[in-house]
Amino acid sequence: MNVLAQLVISGVVVGMIYGVIAFGYQLTFATSKTLNFGQGEALMLGALVGLTTINFLIGQSLGAFTAYLLMLPVVLAFGLLQGAVVEFLGVRQAIRTKSEAGWIMATIALGIIFKNLAENIWGRDALRFPSPLPEAALSIGPVRIQPMEIAIVLGAVALMIAVEIFNRRSIYGKAVVATANDRDAAGLMGINTRLVITFSYALSSMAAAFAGVLVAPITLTGATMGAVLGLKAFAVAIIGGLSSGVGVVVGGLILGISENLTGYYISTGYKDVPGLVLLLLVLTFKPSGLFGSAAIKKV
Amino acid sequence: MKRSFFAFAILASTALTSAAYAADTIKIGLSGPFTGGSSSMGVSMRDGVKLAVTEINKAGGVLGKQLQLVERDDEAKNEVGVQVAQELINKEQVVATLGFINTGVGQAAQRFYQEAEIPVLNNVATGSILTNQWPDAKANYVFRNAANDTIQSAMIAEEAVKRQGFKKPAILADSTNYGQLGQKDLTEALGKMDIKTVANEKFNIGDTDMTAQVLKAKEAGADVILTYAIGPELAQIANAMAKLGWKVPMIGSWTLSMASFIDTSGANGDGAMMPQTFIEAPTTPKRKDFIEAYHKAYGGDRMPSPVSAAQGYDSAYLLVAAINQAKSTDGKKIKDALENLQTKVEGVVTVYDHPFTAKDHEAISSNIPVFGLVKGGRVVPAHPEDVAGDKALRIKPKS
Repeated sequence: MNVLAQLVISGVVVGMIYGVIAFGYQLTFATSKTLNFGQGEALMLGALVGLTTINFLIGQSLGAFTAYLLMLPVVLAFGLLQGAVVEFLGVRQAIRTKSEAGWIMATIALGIIFKNLAENIWGRDALRFPSPLPEAALSIGPVRIQPMEIAIVLGAVALMIAVEIFNRRSIYGKAVVATANDRDAAGLMGINTRLVITFSYALSSMAAAFAGVLVAPITLTGATMGAVLGLKAFAVAIIGGLSSGVGVVVGGLILGISENLTGYYISTGYKDVPGLVLLLLVLTFKPSGLFGSAAIKKV
Repeated sequence: MKRSFFAFAILASTALTSAAYAADTIKIGLSGPFTGGSSSMGVSMRDGVKLAVTEINKAGGVLGKQLQLVERDDEAKNEVGVQVAQELINKEQVVATLGFINTGVGQAAQRFYQEAEIPVLNNVATGSILTNQWPDAKANYVFRNAANDTIQSAMIAEEAVKRQGFKKPAILADSTNYGQLGQKDLTEALGKMDIKTVANEKFNIGDTDMTAQVLKAKEAGADVILTYAIGPELAQIANAMAKLGWKVPMIGSWTLSMASFIDTSGANGDGAMMPQTFIEAPTTPKRKDFIEAYHKAYGGDRMPSPVSAAQGYDSAYLLVAAINQAKSTDGKKIKDALENLQTKVEGVVTVYDHPFTAKDHEAISSNIPVFGLVKGGRVVPAHPEDVAGDKALRIKPKS
């Protein structure tokens, strides 16, 4: 087994999870210049709703794999709904009044409410999520990897490609892109930009909920699972750039891999440091992110 | 009119009886995490205490009064533990408090009992400092009947190096107080045997990936993994080892017996070893009765945390023995009685014969715990010869 390759592969898996969550940040930022700071909680709710659904389906004597596939549409629909609720309750008002910080407080507050809600419904214990794939690791070349970890990478890429194709090809997607390019002009062209923003929030939470059920089988599910992931994904979004889809993937990979390499070659106590140092460097020298286009704010 | 008078009379009489009832009970506080990551320990401890209190009340109570438990969930959070302590002391006016699973919570909350001169019987938390928080104080109101981390880390080092002959241990500990203080104790215990760790790694609560930590231990040539962490992360370690196709024994603090480790690591956790004051096996008549009574009261066939249940049960009997001897519910008198207990208390873990002195507030000595082993979802004795025959009952040597 090759140590370096193993570390990089494990880093890629974690990085892709960060990437999908950060992708959600990027979706809402593009259309409305706002973010859902409760993205980690959207992930957690998705995972817990998925857990209840999959356990129900397994209770109907379905296999874990079939149950997992059937559970996915439920979780994606739940994610869409949850995102729309966040936008409606927390963001719409702030955008309407052109409040600079209202949406920050509102989305953080909603995140806390969702966490408390989850604690009351599912309890505070970490719960085991049934794995749809065999848990024994495969030996592929110099590395060992669990089948679920491969599924995470493939699933994350598939989701991001699907959303990108939707945005570029469908008429609804084009409305999203138009709103992202110039909200006022899009509005003048007859696009209901308010609806587009709601939709981007729905998509954003859907991505997070999907990330939740992807990561759940290799870790544990619980009300606190989203906090760390949401924060790391935020760092990824800053590093990669909030206006670039490629950026969040590359940002996620950079953070995931650097964590593992630092943990191994320097010290596991400093695992989180290089990502944060990179974050500071990016903010200092290229505030729009490694792949972001420079933002000019007209006052 | 008549009817409303009757209603009033009934109301008044129930109010009177409940007031009279309250005066006839002795209130005992119970503080522990009944929700959250350490709830399996908290709930087992609470169930153990409740079982003992029910038995005691059935047998006539203490000083002619019934015991009344006032349970509060400290959520394993220091600040909540402090609130609970203040409520139990000032509002509920408890005579003594049993409990504490988390060292941090105990450290923050016990100060208030010390100031109020109300005894605490710490029945699960293991941080070495807990019974020695105020070395300069005239009196110490904190007692413990759990195996502290100094005892546990020495046992882990002894088991790994002396008994099983491992030479290259790697320590994996979480970044909390529990993990880091335990890691320090372990390193010292190993140092005394001239053994150096080949890797010494940490991780945060909630980390999803342990590849770097486990890989480092593997590449350093570790022949055993020593752990100081709690259930979910311990399971991540076992799972990461399985993923990397590497299997060396895991020996660690008693948290390896947590249900969250055993259940989430599944087959990967089999073979993990940890010090235990009590293993769910009917090795003495007292233990047999306890196990049967527990499952009769709470169902199931496996206690979520047998150690916590047994220590909780024993802590209630120790307290009652002290109240009986003091013939009073005054905090200071109970403390004095605990420090000089005349009656032998036959508990589940051991027989407590003068368990405490004014200087020594630890009822569990290093000869009492034995090693448990995870096997097929349960904890069984790791070395059956350690608990065979008259070795089943281990008693603290007289000081």
